[in-house]
Amino acid sequence: MSDGAANTTQGSAPAGNEILAIRDLKTYFPVRRGVLSRVHAWVKAVDGVSFSVQRGKTLGLVGESGCGKTTVGRTILRLIPATAGQVNFDGQDVFALGRSELRALRRRMQIIFQDPFGSLNPRMTVGTIVGEALTVHGIARGRDRDRIVAELLERCGLSASYVRRYPHEFSGGQRQRIGIARALALSPDLIICDEPVSALDVSIQSQILNLLKDLQEEMGLSYLFIAHNLAVVEHFSHEVAVMYLGRIVEKAPAEEIYRNPKHPYTQALMSAIPAVDPSRRRSRVVLTGEVPSPLNPPPGCAFHPRCPLAVPACRRDVPALVRHEGCEALHTVACHRADEMRPGMLLEHVNKGIVAAEPA
Amino acid sequence: MTTTAPNPAILAAPVQQGRSLWGDAFRRLRRDPAAVACFLVIGAYVALAVGAVYWYPDFLETQNYSERNLPPSADHWFGTDVFGRDVLAKTLLGARVSMTVGFMANAIAVPLGLALGVLGGYFGKWIDDLVVWLYTTLASIPGIILLIALKYAFQGIILFEGTFIELNLSGIHGLYIALGVLSWIGTCRIIRAETLKLKSLDYVTAARASGQGRVRILVRHIVPNLLHLAIINFTLGFVGAISAEVILSFLGLGVEVGTPSWGTMINAARLDLVVGRWWEAVAACAAMFVIVLALNIFGDRLRDALDPKLRI
Repeated sequence: MSDGAANTTQGSAPAGNEILAIRDLKTYFPVRRGVLSRVHAWVKAVDGVSFSVQRGKTLGLVGESGCGKTTVGRTILRLIPATAGQVNFDGQDVFALGRSELRALRRRMQIIFQDPFGSLNPRMTVGTIVGEALTVHGIARGRDRDRIVAELLERCGLSASYVRRYPHEFSGGQRQRIGIARALALSPDLIICDEPVSALDVSIQSQILNLLKDLQEEMGLSYLFIAHNLAVVEHFSHEVAVMYLGRIVEKAPAEEIYRNPKHPYTQALMSAIPAVDPSRRRSRVVLTGEVPSPLNPPPGCAFHPRCPLAVPACRRDVPALVRHEGCEALHTVACHRADEMRPGMLLEHVNKGIVAAEPA
Repeated sequence: MTTTAPNPAILAAPVQQGRSLWGDAFRRLRRDPAAVACFLVIGAYVALAVGAVYWYPDFLETQNYSERNLPPSADHWFGTDVFGRDVLAKTLLGARVSMTVGFMANAIAVPLGLALGVLGGYFGKWIDDLVVWLYTTLASIPGIILLIALKYAFQGIILFEGTFIELNLSGIHGLYIALGVLSWIGTCRIIRAETLKLKSLDYVTAARASGQGRVRILVRHIVPNLLHLAIINFTLGFVGAISAEVILSFLGLGVEVGTPSWGTMINAARLDLVVGRWWEAVAACAAMFVIVLALNIFGDRLRDALDPKLRI
């Protein structure tokens, strides 16, 4: 655990109680060109990410579309081959597993998807969708399987009488519950929730989040909760990691990151959370521009082209994810100016009309 | 909204039978008057084609020189031909050839296109390269020329000679085999593209994440979601096969000489038209027009009914 990535792991909770530990994970996609399909360039979708998920706890992974958070989830499950790094699941090196060991591991790690429409096979009944994994792993057949499926449906807030119905007969929220029931079928320890509520109505979102929370308490599940919306993660996660362009820029326990966001990007995301009380409405920092292409990332800190607080060093050096002054334990930030950052500083800065530091 | 412990009362509730996409498509078709009408027309053609051999068992031997070239009348609704044979009988026997060729050519082409498209799309790498190479090469040669060349090559070849399944490739058997092995390209392209799309869908990812093998995913998740495309292609491919039979028979390359078919009828009536004997050509063309129209409309309605995108 104390390998070359010492910087990035600094401040992590003691090992032993972590169910998932990721060290310096890299997933690059080759860009092939020409007749011979030679590798022309690499898209660094995930570029050196480290974090861990505590047993029975939730880690929220937040970032804009295209920052690599989905790729992180799928790489952990070995659905996408990793380029480098290490994934440890309950003491097992996931990337070193053979075929049958991987199959055994699949029972313990499951995934819930964002799109409730594309995630269920439209030609299968709900019973088959939920129970298929039970057959594949030889856990239950026939009556036994039907009983387990009925229990899973009930547990996810669906009627057991739905087993013979088809996905197209359900609403988005119900379909998401079917997806959750499918993930629970193998009684996993860890579930990777890949934006499970992003495609749902706000009222349904809270229902699904509550369901996931209840399941966590009942079954002691651990979640890696991927979202692009800090508000969704706020009440759900024990720890939050903010990703930008394939890297983690800030990581802290949930209360700490909401109370004391250090990274300008985190502050910008925070200011975008809608306030319930209109009198307390915050003014927002609207980030201009797009996330740069991971094919051609900017030098230095990847956020500097959009950062109102960037200084010359930001264009030159990649900041390390480390603990800074004024941070609680376990709070790490990858920003050159983290020491001087106060909550709301970005906002004040933008309101003063100071757009950015002079060009270097 | 919380989860509840399994409640025996609810568990005992009667299971609700859902409606599958197939059942749903069937219901939509049944409620669509145009589809039903076209289906009845197609059914009638099949019935008449099957019945024709029993009604006119010795058609080829019958010759009645006292009734040559009669225009349509109460006795001979579609008139008679140069040998005094009933054109109606000839048209119905022609339907038999057309329906056989249409069915058999697609029974070869669609499974072939399905298999190659799925294998290429799903397994990728060199298998995909091979499939794409195969169909781009085939597609680069004008279809009708390839068909004529293949039909010529089949002339005089008899497969499984002396056995129960003897196939004389000179005639109709060679025709549908040639059509079948050449017309899978369209199906293959569509199936391959759809496979590429399906294999990146979340339910396939979910199946992988739960430890299902590649073959199981192919059989359980990919192919069932492609079958509707195969069925649509089968219906629409019928039209192409029927036209190809008519064209080849017209050119004298189709069915054996003397076998009544719409192509040979149009060919025979070529010179008749000059002297005003229009009924044989019109009968063949009208018969073809109606079935092609019915198949096209039915195929179209089938596509609408079977499209799963309309239901999710």
